[in-house]
Amino acid sequence: MKRAIRLIPALEWPLRPVLGIGLGLAFFYAGVQKYLAPYEFAEAILAYQLLPKVLVGLTAAIFPPLEMAVGGLLVLGYLAEAWGRLARSRRTFGESLPGGMSRRTSLLLIILQLGVFILVLVITMARGLKIDCGCGLFMDRQVGFGAIVEDLFLLGLTAWLYWMESKDVPESKAVLESVIPGRMKP
Amino acid sequence: MVRTSRDLFEGRKIKALWVDTMNHIISWKRDLFWSACLLMFVSVIGVAKNWHLVSSSFRGDLDTLLEKHRTERRQSEYKGIKTVTLDEAHALWQAGQTLIIDARHVQDYQELHVPGAVNLPPESWANLTDPPKIAGLSRQRQILIYCSQESCDDSLKLASKLFNLGFTQVMAFSGGFRAWDEAGYPVDTGS
Repeated sequence: MKRAIRLIPALEWPLRPVLGIGLGLAFFYAGVQKYLAPYEFAEAILAYQLLPKVLVGLTAAIFPPLEMAVGGLLVLGYLAEAWGRLARSRRTFGESLPGGMSRRTSLLLIILQLGVFILVLVITMARGLKIDCGCGLFMDRQVGFGAIVEDLFLLGLTAWLYWMESKDVPESKAVLESVIPGRMKP
Repeated sequence: MVRTSRDLFEGRKIKALWVDTMNHIISWKRDLFWSACLLMFVSVIGVAKNWHLVSSSFRGDLDTLLEKHRTERRQSEYKGIKTVTLDEAHALWQAGQTLIIDARHVQDYQELHVPGAVNLPPESWANLTDPPKIAGLSRQRQILIYCSQESCDDSLKLASKLFNLGFTQVMAFSGGFRAWDEAGYPVDTGS
């Protein structure tokens, strides 16, 4: 157990970009699917019977490019960090670039989106509607516990990534370094 | 009271924790600002790209637009598959000569279905020649397939698969079980 705990910080660097890129690719792919079929996505939103019809078109128009943008920026942000580390062997290179900023912004938007998805799924299940989920990577899946558990897992993962990113904010490090010298040194 | 170096270190730790928390909050607010900027940017792009959909929705023409696109898509994706209306489906059921297939999931079928319908859920479509419900059927047998509602494509998907297997009299009831149930036609429960 102690050995496993010691391994977590060692695995953190490769684990964060790998999970972050995986999450970004999943969101990008899900966004592309909906972007290419906006009318089918609008039908999927209508089936939930939650939004007034006036807002269905707007929601169907905004969500797909949003998913693509946050997914793409997340992947680019992590690639920028990985490139920085490989090129300069500096641990914090990517964090001071727009890469770090794009990662935190994307992660925050993913958290907000997942929160909305979970809320919508729970309400739909509570109302007893048996409709296609129109969510995630599998458009044909029905609303159910599987989709909620998947979104909760993704929410946990995204929250962890965001928290770890926030810990790496450069000014936070500088302030902490001034309070306790040597605390932030690796 | 004498302050030891340990007390000072503890004090610094508490201060560091406080500063750390405050920085998280500052960072969170700044990220929220950039998130709002990104959201506005993609909103402009999304609305511009799908202006027809957005404007139809605002005008109250969304149903007509979606119906038009659905029909066009189905005509190109499921060429050659005959569709029937609610009245036609009811007449076929009353005549009793047509095999009615429920293409919804097992749970939905067990809850309620058209009387006499057999269930072929999507998970059983991978090998359609295996299910005993289909294996011994004449290829000229009249078959009517339905799924959950107007917007679902499963009845057409299954009809297309059966058509490709050589069944020539396959039809899809586009209104689905919802239209049947809402019309007040008989329903059955169980398997």
